[in-house]
Amino acid sequence: MSAHATIHAPERAKVTPTGLASRGKLFTIAGLALCALALVLGLVQDGGTRHLQHSWLLAVTYFITLGLGGLFFVLVQHLVRAGWSVVVRRMAEHVAGALPLMGLLLLPIVVPTLFGNGDLYHWADTHEREVSHLLHEKAPYLNGPFLLVRVLIYVGVWTLLVRAFNRRSLAQDDTGDPALTQWMQTRAAPSVLAFALTLTFFSFDMLMTLNYEWFSTIFGVYIFAGSALALFATLVLFSRRFEKRGELEGIVTTEHYHDLGKLLFAFVFFWGYIAFSQYMLIWYGDIPEETQWFAARWVGGWKVVSLVLLFGHFLLPFVGLLSRHVKRNRLLLSGWAVALLVMHLVDLYWLIMPTLSPEGVRVGLIDIACLLGVGGLFLGGVLRRADGRPLVPLQDPRLDESLAFENI
Amino acid sequence: MSAPELHGYVAYYDDVDSLIGAARRVKESGFRRFDAHSPFPVHGIDPAMGIRPTILPWLVLGAGLTGCAVALGMQYWMNGVDYAFLISGKPLFGLPAAIPVTFEVIILLSAITTFVGMLALNKLPLLSNPLHRTPGFERVTADRFAISIEAADERFDEQATREFLRETGATVIERCEADDSPAGLPKIVKQLTMVAAAIALIPPALIAMERYGTRTTPRIHLIPDMDHQPKAKTQSASSIFEDGRSMRAPVEGTVAVGEWIEDEYRATGKVADQWGSGFPFTIDEVVMQRGRERYDIYCGVCHGLDGLGRGPVSVRAESLQEAAWIPPTNLHDERLLTVPEGQLFDVITNGIRNMPAYSGQITVDDRWAVVAYLRALQRSRAADREDLPAERQEDFK
Amino acid sequence: MVITTTTDHDPVKTAAAAPEIDVLSDDPTQRPPLMTGQNDFTSITDDVCGIAERPKPPRAWYAAFGVSLVGTAVMFGMLGYLVLNGVGVWGNNQPVAWGWPIVNFVFWVGIGHAGTLISAILFLFRQGWRTSINRFAEAMTIFAVCCAAVFPGVHIGRVWMAYYLFPIPNQMEMWPNFRSPLLWDVFAVSTYALTSLLFWYMGMIPDLATLRDRAKGKIRQAAYGLFSLGWTGSARQWHRYEKAYLLLAGLATPLVLSVHSVVSFDFAVSQVPGWHTTIFPPYFVAGAIFSGFAMVVTLMIPARQFFGLKHLVTMKHLEIMCKIILATGMMVGYAYAIEFFIAWYGGNPYERFAFINRAMGPYAWAYWTMAFCNVVAPQAFWFKKVRTNLWAMMGVCILVNVGMWFERFVITVISLSRDFLPSSWDYFKPTAVDVLTFAGSFGLFFTLFLLFCRYLPMVAMAEVKTVLPQAHAGHGAHAEEVAQ
Repeated sequence: MSAHATIHAPERAKVTPTGLASRGKLFTIAGLALCALALVLGLVQDGGTRHLQHSWLLAVTYFITLGLGGLFFVLVQHLVRAGWSVVVRRMAEHVAGALPLMGLLLLPIVVPTLFGNGDLYHWADTHEREVSHLLHEKAPYLNGPFLLVRVLIYVGVWTLLVRAFNRRSLAQDDTGDPALTQWMQTRAAPSVLAFALTLTFFSFDMLMTLNYEWFSTIFGVYIFAGSALALFATLVLFSRRFEKRGELEGIVTTEHYHDLGKLLFAFVFFWGYIAFSQYMLIWYGDIPEETQWFAARWVGGWKVVSLVLLFGHFLLPFVGLLSRHVKRNRLLLSGWAVALLVMHLVDLYWLIMPTLSPEGVRVGLIDIACLLGVGGLFLGGVLRRADGRPLVPLQDPRLDESLAFENI
Repeated sequence: MSAPELHGYVAYYDDVDSLIGAARRVKESGFRRFDAHSPFPVHGIDPAMGIRPTILPWLVLGAGLTGCAVALGMQYWMNGVDYAFLISGKPLFGLPAAIPVTFEVIILLSAITTFVGMLALNKLPLLSNPLHRTPGFERVTADRFAISIEAADERFDEQATREFLRETGATVIERCEADDSPAGLPKIVKQLTMVAAAIALIPPALIAMERYGTRTTPRIHLIPDMDHQPKAKTQSASSIFEDGRSMRAPVEGTVAVGEWIEDEYRATGKVADQWGSGFPFTIDEVVMQRGRERYDIYCGVCHGLDGLGRGPVSVRAESLQEAAWIPPTNLHDERLLTVPEGQLFDVITNGIRNMPAYSGQITVDDRWAVVAYLRALQRSRAADREDLPAERQEDFK
Repeated sequence: MVITTTTDHDPVKTAAAAPEIDVLSDDPTQRPPLMTGQNDFTSITDDVCGIAERPKPPRAWYAAFGVSLVGTAVMFGMLGYLVLNGVGVWGNNQPVAWGWPIVNFVFWVGIGHAGTLISAILFLFRQGWRTSINRFAEAMTIFAVCCAAVFPGVHIGRVWMAYYLFPIPNQMEMWPNFRSPLLWDVFAVSTYALTSLLFWYMGMIPDLATLRDRAKGKIRQAAYGLFSLGWTGSARQWHRYEKAYLLLAGLATPLVLSVHSVVSFDFAVSQVPGWHTTIFPPYFVAGAIFSGFAMVVTLMIPARQFFGLKHLVTMKHLEIMCKIILATGMMVGYAYAIEFFIAWYGGNPYERFAFINRAMGPYAWAYWTMAFCNVVAPQAFWFKKVRTNLWAMMGVCILVNVGMWFERFVITVISLSRDFLPSSWDYFKPTAVDVLTFAGSFGLFFTLFLLFCRYLPMVAMAEVKTVLPQAHAGHGAHAEEVAQ
């Protein structure tokens, strides 16, 4: 390594964004308004409540998976004692910080399910529960009260983890106590375990049981792959935004983008690997109770969405991110980050929506209102958390290593 | 013997910093045929020496794309076109099932290209290099750093270059002498190689001889596969059973599935232990034609197509003067004209004297058809013009 | 890491000032050195080459080599016996047509995953500590793959027809069935064997050149000279070499994922209860890395002890490997749990039966051995005391190896012995030939391994040198200091 640049410790004032709270408030208000609009649309439109529930689930899971990606990133950086990532870790902490609120937003779909509304989760439908033999078998797991308990556990675990790690990280900015890092390092391993289990069962409960006949053991890993990918894309975009604003100027360097790009590339491949494994095994096994799920996604407009995923979520970004030059070019990398965030949305849309409109893709105003509404709440939360707090962990013991980091 | 020719200089340095510095100066002085040597890859020396990025990644990309095309094409052609067979309801060529092999072939070709490409671009293997004859150079792969400048460089000057290297901070400078040992392999190695090559030709030659030559004895069977199997073959002797045969007789009275015939006369030609007369089923044109066909095939060879007992087998046997030959019966014999049909059927079924049984070759109903044809044949010897169909009678005026 | 910082925490300088820093320290304010003691280019060369140059290896080597040779002979004897008599000499029956040979194959291939993981994936993750152990692990990989290749080869019955596995034009004018996962296996394992070999050999070229330049005897000079291909360590060579190494690492990383995924496809594409489950590919990969690391630790502990490599392969290396074993063990445990849950949740009675039968059927002993060794035993690695105690570490790693063999046994044999047709159900018992062949394969593995330890550089010298502080520009002064 031949770094000739002199690295200065970042000044607190420079790296602390201000004026974000007001904008955050704006986002929150706009988000609330859009959520209200979605609600109204859902109530007045024909079959709107059903559509509303699906759109709401899509919007909330999208931002929850982002938050879970953030939580994963934070935990793993501590777990492996990573040095390079310190300068981008705070942003991941802020993203993960949205988890408690986003978790609460699950209640509007869990509560109707609890009361026997089968619009979203067909297994909750009272009639279906009587006539389906399969549901008799699955009743110990698929029932309203247990679902509520489980969701509360997931959100509770996430809240605990997020608070434990974010608080200590922020506290270290003031105290500089390395013991805090040590605390987080030792707690990271069991936390990752809790994370893995909650993410898996969250994805089972919220997404897999939309079609209660279908099951896939890899499903949790599939959602994890998408979540992590979305987080790396988000980190690229946030880094670039704050670099332009000035807070991260000279702190997040091409080297960090390069590393984020490599992770983005790796997870594009990982997602493709997991998605292919799931598809190939079900295609080859050819058992009706499994293939019906893919068959439903290979009719009408859904076939197009499936192909868009194949190319947009895997093949094209794989080729696009292969080159070192792309990963080191902020503009190109941001472009791919945006594309992959969109693809993550398409992925979730493809998982959720065929139960709403099996005949084909039907995007309505209600989808957009929900997505932007929840997105507003998410961004509002992130911005308010970021306001007035240093955007890099100022006294992290490995900050210097991260600042001076260079790819070989 | 004159002093060996100068190949170049090797200058040694103590640490990475001075190596990089010196390399930069050598490059800036316009030398082209020089190189830096170190026991491990030194970072930062590439820009100092002006080494441009290698084209290796592009070669590997090409190999990967080739691998993809080759693997997909191979699977499509082999399983979809050239040797198409259905298995477990899968399409002849299904993309999901083709992906694993395609992936592996991409990696395989890319990995080989990476390795071979690296060697080729580095001009390795190069087992004879004057640098290796320079005593101090031995430690370059252990703990020493060096810069070598070749005498072939345009800017090389025996004195000036030495001075220049001294200035760059070299601790030691060595002369590297050109390799004056004879080029090429030693004679003994060449001879041994030729002998080995000659010996190596023997097995393929033997194989070719075995494969394409002709011989009267069975070919050598290197791997006996399933030639020798501990099992009893048809009609062979056996020490296991009392009767000494390997084959077991069916239980008394066994009838094969589907061969049981209810009508006793039709099955045996007898009615209550007496020869029966007449036919068990209606004889029509089809049966008669069938009977004629069977007769011509099975009976005619001995009894003759006309039934006079002068078939080709008999004629030849007599011409060979076979003493034991009993001529076949003339089927127009007076005695046979009155024999009941049931008895004729029985003779065909079980044989008589030295005529073998035909029950194995001719089915039950076909035997009746033969009997019917035989009756027609006998009748033909006593036929007159009135017996012919009206339109044929004219031919025999 | 040459940085001028305004804080006091220059990791390199700290290390230089206090060289006796505890490598096991978990203090986040400093990066402990990767190796203990005072190492420089010369000492590393001497330490590593010294092993291969010794006129006579330690007596323990001869003893181990003798035992391994006997094992190898037993294995080849058993294979010969098999070829002469046919696969009836194994315990395989109907319905368990895949008995020990497949169990052993998957076991060995799994072991063979750690090497490439350490050399390729950890290289991409910039884990400097890998340099001390990667050569060792890669060698282990190659030898494990050699052992693995034996079993499917003989399992096909008529071994002399093995070339039918490859798309070679033949007198029957037949082509292999590319839709069969078993054929994917042929491609995956051959590609893996070759790529690992290239990776291992390419990494060794500079070190072979070092041995060549130090060699005294004519035979050694010729042998090392031939295999080092005339390497001169020139910057132009290094440039392409490093690029090639990076490319191979980039290729080997997805390859290592694919190989055990393809092995898992052998099972998972079928409809056999307990086999057909979508998590198999990543779960097999995690299990492979798990068993591979356990084997590396099992071999590394005695090797570093006997060959005096304790300063290069420190307790820290072993501790990190223990952590990886714990992590991958948890992944395997996760897969077991999810499989069980989905077997129940899926509502398919056959699937449910398969899993209940695993835990409570006639093979429950195998299942619980597996669960204990793979999930319970590694939990000991939560404790640093266990992670830094050689005997405890060795014990857990051996248990993990046993457990991973049983995992393959549980998957292969239990599902087959209870197939869809209850009238065909049968209990599988291995024969003496099964047992001796498997035991003998360890002989082959250790024979190759001991030869490697004896004649080849056990540690990647060139790579270890790059992680020494004096390998970086700007540390010239420091290098001199150490040298004196």
